Order: sequence, then C-alpha cells, then structure tokens
Amino acid sequence: MTGTEIYKRTPAYEREASAIRLHAPEWKLLLAYDGQRSLAEVALSAEVSFADALPLTEKFLGQGWIEEQPITLDQYLKRTGAPSVSAIGSAIPPAVVLHSPRPKTTVLPPLPDSFATEKVAASPLESPIVTHAKPPGGLLRLDALVHYLISLADNHALGQILVYRVFLRVPPELLQEEDIASVHLVDDTSVIRGEKLQQAIANAVRKLTQRVLPSSVFAPA
Amino acid sequence: MPLHERDIHYFLEVTLAYLNKITGHEIVLRDPTIEFQSLVFSTYTGLIHLSGDVQGFVYLTASQPFLRQLYTARHSHGRFAEENCLDVMNDITNEIAHNVRRRFGPALHASEPHIFSTVPDDPIEMPPAVFVQPFSWRNELGYFVLGLTSSESV
Repeated sequence: MTGTEIYKRTPAYEREASAIRLHAPEWKLLLAYDGQRSLAEVALSAEVSFADALPLTEKFLGQGWIEEQPITLDQYLKRTGAPSVSAIGSAIPPAVVLHSPRPKTTVLPPLPDSFATEKVAASPLESPIVTHAKPPGGLLRLDALVHYLISLADNHALGQILVYRVFLRVPPELLQEEDIASVHLVDDTSVIRGEKLQQAIANAVRKLTQRVLPSSVFAPA
Repeated sequence: MPLHERDIHYFLEVTLAYLNKITGHEIVLRDPTIEFQSLVFSTYTGLIHLSGDVQGFVYLTASQPFLRQLYTARHSHGRFAEENCLDVMNDITNEIAHNVRRRFGPALHASEPHIFSTVPDDPIEMPPAVFVQPFSWRNELGYFVLGLTSSESV
C-alpha cells in the first residue's frame, strides 16, 4: 500500500456491523473510510499514524469490511501531486508514498524470533516465586504475550486455546479495572499497565506452563 | 480433571468438521477473540450446557442467510422456511453434543441442544472469559463460542 489508495466500507460490513467488536481507535479508522479520501488522508483524520494504519487496513481488507475504490489516472496524479496526463503524455510517474507526520509515541521493539524461556524449579515456601522478568515500570504487550504462549503449544490453534486458559485464571475485576473487554488473538496492539494485572497474568502462565514470562513480552513505559 | 488444550479444541474441531462436510470445506476462519464482558448472538443460536468435570457452555450462532445456505446445500429441493433455520441449527448442535458425549463419556455431561432466536429465554451466566471463533462461508458469518466457568478444571 502506498497511501494513495481509496477504500470504502462494504455491504458485508453493513451486515456484520452489529456483531463486530473492535477497540475504539480501530473503530475510528474503520469508520473514516469513505470512498473519497486516500488511506493517508483517512489515517490523518482518524489520528492514526500511517505505520499503524497499514496493518489495520490489511486486517479490515482481510475481513471483507472494506474494499479499494478504483480511481482514474487523473485522480491518481492529482493525489500524488504529479502534473496532469495531458502535460506528461502517457508516462506514469513513480508512485509517491504519502506519510503522515509521525506523532511522538513509544516505539515498541519488534518481536524476537524465539523466546528465551526459563523453567521455574520447585521453590521452598519461604522464597518468593519469580513469575516474570520485567523491566521496571514496563508495559505488558498483549500481542507479544499471545505470540509467546502460542509458541509454547504444539500448533497455532492449540496455542490460542492456551491463551484462553491463561485468561480464565485472571480475576475478572483486574481486567475490568484496566478496561480490557477482550483480547484479540491476532495483532492485539493493547498494552497492560497495571502491576496487579500483569502479576495475575504471569501467575496464570506459570501455573499452566511452569514458565516465567520472558522480558521480551514487556515494553518500556 | 483439568482439560488440556486438545480437549477444549475438540469442541471447535467437531463443529468445523460438520460444517465443512456440508460446505465442501469452504468454511473460512476469521481472527478469534477472548471476550470478558459480553456474549455475541446472531439471529439463531444452538446452545449446549456442559457439566461434570467442566462447567460451562458451547454454542453456535449464525445469521439466517448462513443457515439458509447450509439448508440449501443439504437439500437440493424443497422450499426454505424459517423453521428450517431452527432445524439446521438443531442438527449441528446435536452433532456437537453427540461427539462430546462419545469423547468424554460420563466425566462430562452435554445437555440436549437449546435452540433459540436472537437472545436466550433464560439468561446465560457470563463466565470469566469466552473463546469466540468467527467463521464465514460465502460472505455470511457465524460464530463458535465456548465459555468455561471453572478455572480449576481448565
């Protein structure tokens, strides 16, 4: 995607809208596709960085909720700031990638290819039990947590069920305190800030897998 | 006895196997979610209550167009009516219950299917978390939902 594409919501979206569950920033982006503005313009209006809008747009395309609108060459050239076709003849200028100004956000490190796991040995009751290797004040990344748990299972589908088993052990009131209504098992960009909830999740992971959460599931605050 | 991931996944496997048998393996899985605060219901739902070693429920919910397409795929003739949606949902849910009983035996009791339209007559207690697997066929959506209430059993 170059950012010049124009998308609009599909009839399939209209049928499924009442059943769709998204986080608020995702709704803001999805509802901004109007069949008129380019992806870059839509991202700007929805206050989403272009880098963040790209995977979300791919997700919406995959779900069939949006589709690309074809535009004429003149419209395309106008959007890229190139001269009109009549001025340049039939030559097509190279595509121009439009970027929105990047707001200051915390840059999360990419997910590592493999996770260093540490098995927790049986410890005497007097010793504190280490459940996670977290940097001070760190944020727990849900996408990294899901990715890690899936890596522990025999296959992807069973890994998603393992994630479910973990969250069944997390006290619901802690999730409510952080306003977490759901976890997406693909590309959930949410982070968990609360220490209590992080500890509850780490405890659940340890209980089910006998493993300590690796530091790679945490991002700096 | 805690259910392993394979046991929990079995509920989804039998559902998809049945649907794929009717649709010629055209069911497309969408991204699953874990929900903590609400249950998703489409136009028609087939629900099974689970008890014994594991407490909870499993249900399938789908739109009328989805069920109409399923009905048409199975019956080449005949006029489609609303009660056919209930029949189709009943068939799928019975298949799930039958397979669950066969696999888990007396350790896990699967109730008779409860089929309803829009929302259940009796309120369903929301467990700590439900696993939601959306799927589609010919642009129509359905959802598989599994809710387990006893964390010590899982």
